[in-house]
Amino acid sequence: MGTIRVRFIIVALVVSFFAVGMAAFLNYFKYKSTISGIVKSRVLVIGRNIENSVQASLSVGMQFMELGTMNQLLQREKASDRLIRGIDVFDQTGQVLYSTERTRVGEKVVNAWTEAAARSKSTEWGTEAADEYVAGISLKNNFDLTVGYLAMRYSAEEVDRAAKVAGREILLASIFSFLGIALVAPLALIVVIRRFERDLRALEAAASHLEDRTEPALPTGSAFDGAIGNLRSSLRDANGALDDLRAKLDSVS
Amino acid sequence: MLEKNYLWRIYWRLAGVIMVCVVVALAVVSYFSHRVFDRELVPETEQKAATVGASVRALVLKATGYGIDFSQLYGVEQTFAEVFEENPEFAYMAITNTDGNVLYARGTEPIGARTHFRNPVVLQIAHETTDLSKAARVGQQYIVSMPINNDGKPLGVLHVGIDAAFVDHVLLEVLLDVLVVLVVSLFFTLELLNFMAGARLASGLGEFARQVDRMKAGDFTATARIRANDEIGRLLRRIDSAIDHLNVRYEFLAGELQDKVRTATAQRREALKPAQAALEAITKRLRFGSAPQAADGDEMNLNRIRAPLFAFILAEELTRSFLPSYVNQLIVAIPGISPQVVIGLPIMLFMLIVALGQPYLGSWSERVGRRKAMLVGAVVATIGFTGTALAYNLYDLILWRSLCALGYAMVFVAAQGYVLDRTGQQNRAQGFALFIGAIMVATVCGPSIGGILADNIGFRASFGVSALMSLISILAIVRLPATEAVLPTGKPTRGPRMREIMALVVNRRFMTLTGLAAMPAKIILTGVCFYLVPLYIVSIGNTSSMAGRMLMVYAVMMVLIVPLSASFSDATMRRDRYVSVGLIISGLSGLLLLLSDSFLVLFGVVFLLGLGQALSIAAQSALVAEHCQEEIRIYGHDAVYGVYRLLERLGNALGPLIASLLVILWGYQGSFVALSALVLFCGIAFTIATHGSEWQPATPAHP
Repeated sequence: MGTIRVRFIIVALVVSFFAVGMAAFLNYFKYKSTISGIVKSRVLVIGRNIENSVQASLSVGMQFMELGTMNQLLQREKASDRLIRGIDVFDQTGQVLYSTERTRVGEKVVNAWTEAAARSKSTEWGTEAADEYVAGISLKNNFDLTVGYLAMRYSAEEVDRAAKVAGREILLASIFSFLGIALVAPLALIVVIRRFERDLRALEAAASHLEDRTEPALPTGSAFDGAIGNLRSSLRDANGALDDLRAKLDSVS
Repeated sequence: MLEKNYLWRIYWRLAGVIMVCVVVALAVVSYFSHRVFDRELVPETEQKAATVGASVRALVLKATGYGIDFSQLYGVEQTFAEVFEENPEFAYMAITNTDGNVLYARGTEPIGARTHFRNPVVLQIAHETTDLSKAARVGQQYIVSMPINNDGKPLGVLHVGIDAAFVDHVLLEVLLDVLVVLVVSLFFTLELLNFMAGARLASGLGEFARQVDRMKAGDFTATARIRANDEIGRLLRRIDSAIDHLNVRYEFLAGELQDKVRTATAQRREALKPAQAALEAITKRLRFGSAPQAADGDEMNLNRIRAPLFAFILAEELTRSFLPSYVNQLIVAIPGISPQVVIGLPIMLFMLIVALGQPYLGSWSERVGRRKAMLVGAVVATIGFTGTALAYNLYDLILWRSLCALGYAMVFVAAQGYVLDRTGQQNRAQGFALFIGAIMVATVCGPSIGGILADNIGFRASFGVSALMSLISILAIVRLPATEAVLPTGKPTRGPRMREIMALVVNRRFMTLTGLAAMPAKIILTGVCFYLVPLYIVSIGNTSSMAGRMLMVYAVMMVLIVPLSASFSDATMRRDRYVSVGLIISGLSGLLLLLSDSFLVLFGVVFLLGLGQALSIAAQSALVAEHCQEEIRIYGHDAVYGVYRLLERLGNALGPLIASLLVILWGYQGSFVALSALVLFCGIAFTIATHGSEWQPATPAHP
């Protein structure tokens, strides 16, 4: 197989690898972000129920720090979806006021939560840790002032499991597609460059007889016919001149 | 020229075949992805529907708990509407009574829904006391049904319909990115064809054509070149061998004749005269011996700059679509400076360092050597990209971006010098076409791929990819020839002096070209493309990928239109008109946002800006040589063009600053409009200023 043909095939394989790889990458991450979005919005539905209850309490004049039934409400909402590991309500300093786990009350939440909540342009916010995701809602009073934050911790396992399954299948589909290209592309390229290779062969054939001064007939229609003709006539001319000189020298002896 | 077109025809055919293969492969990947999406996303969405349904059911039970009759609830449809707003994948919601009759409904009812609701299995759901929900495919929807049961007393069933086509909608978004991948793949294919095969093939065939021409002209001097071990290399070796053979014959015959003449008697010497005449005729007509060693392999070496340049520029271009959003994320309050200006600060600083550094880095790269200068630049930029990826806040980000800018300026100038060193008058345009080609392809591929990466793997990891690309460019730079090709007659280049800058800044003709055309063109380019588009697109709820696609539209326009406008403006010699029209079109682009702030209009803005810039960009610098001949005579070509480039690049730095100030005053849309109005004004002023007879192109002398 010619070196140039090999190079063209390598180009085809590199480009196909890039395109198929990018497509797999895009599909995988789209799947992961979609499934994350679905799971997060599912958790936020529960959060909205809690938010509505808090706002109803605040609107009748209760203090945010003194919502007596809050812990029970959080427990009840947590039980409504197996995905949720725990629910916390914390103030703007990050101190937990209410929680489904009593031990967490009074503790500080990690900085990433308060930063994510402060950075968010809407009332919803979220963070992702290695094994646990957090979906949050900024709790506002009737004057649209943020009084605290609601954080629902849920397992990353569901998203990770789904992403792993999808990722494996997308990867397999990509590998098979790439292998398909690796088989088909070289054949297709050989068909496309056969004329170019024929032209090159014609050139090589012409060049291989430059020294022995024979001029075998070449396939016509090559893109290099003119060049081959010029090459031959130039060499013929030079050799002719040297032959003439040889003859003249020989005639003297 | 024959072999160039011949090769390009082959390239396009190859690119076509590769693209067909890629499209088929992408279709296969998309098909299987769709299957996975369908299978995995639907159950998850059904669970979500069950959770949403439970929330709605709680409201219903709360109302019935207050004693309101189940069949006369108020506001149920409005609640359904609110659910649809927050969950676009839900297409239908209904509550049926225990007989399966619809009491409340909203959305598009799927065909067969009524029959489904009266199905005994579904009716049985109303009697369930647990939170159980059941899903079934009905028409074009998946219906999730759950009981509404008040302490054991069945009231009815709540149904939530999920549009089966929602998976298609999700995949449609991926499809746009896949299209971007396809366009990038096409450019990538052409670039790779050139890098892996084309450069050697083109130089090989070029060498063959030159060899044939030399032989046709009677030049049979032997060259001692190392040939590549491929088809063209073998061919050239055979020709070299034939020439060597001829040279040996010639040397032998000439030596033999000389010997015979030296030892011959007078009579014999007379007999040798025809042979002597024949040798004289041969030496007159044909040339034998060794060819001079000049510019050996320079064409091949020139082509070798393309790969490292492409990889390096791609590293920077990858960041275009998301850099402002990243800065926004790391922003810290700087007293007295608006956050809008702070976001533009790293871009501004980058452009300023490039603008001020380039004139002086040119002579530095000449001193230390182009390859070494490129290596240093790429290493500095790689450190910059890595630091940017790990940046703690805005302050260190500015430092890292400054390193990127310094590295960029070094590599850019050194690569430009590399091309200049290896080209003469006859092939300089070809050399710069290669240089600009690498940059343009990187501009097409970079922002779109960068946007996709940023959306999926995050800003920091995307900067990591840029660092990796920069690192790859270092590997390619190392492979460049270590020996420098400095032209013996070439004067060392220098940056413009302050005296020259001051003199040219107050020169009316020079400033008409620079202040009314070159600078406004750069201001709108960086202000709109590098600052406003990425920020505005994200501010209206779109992604960095979309910003990347927009910037790709601009780059594609440049790739397609610049060669055409350059050749047309050269042919007509009315370059000023191209600049005028280009500026006016650029100026009109942002005004489109006065009509609407829709996404399609923004597409139109970028399209028109790309068109306007493409029309004017090639003609602008040519106009300097055409109309500032007096200034070139006084200050020299290098000084005039040095000041022109300096001011043009200062325009690059001013763009984000002006745009950010305008955002403070009038918001994003106002900034687009005001920036465009400024360029429109400059375009009209330029048209009026270049209307006089002194601006008419010189009439070519008739023979």
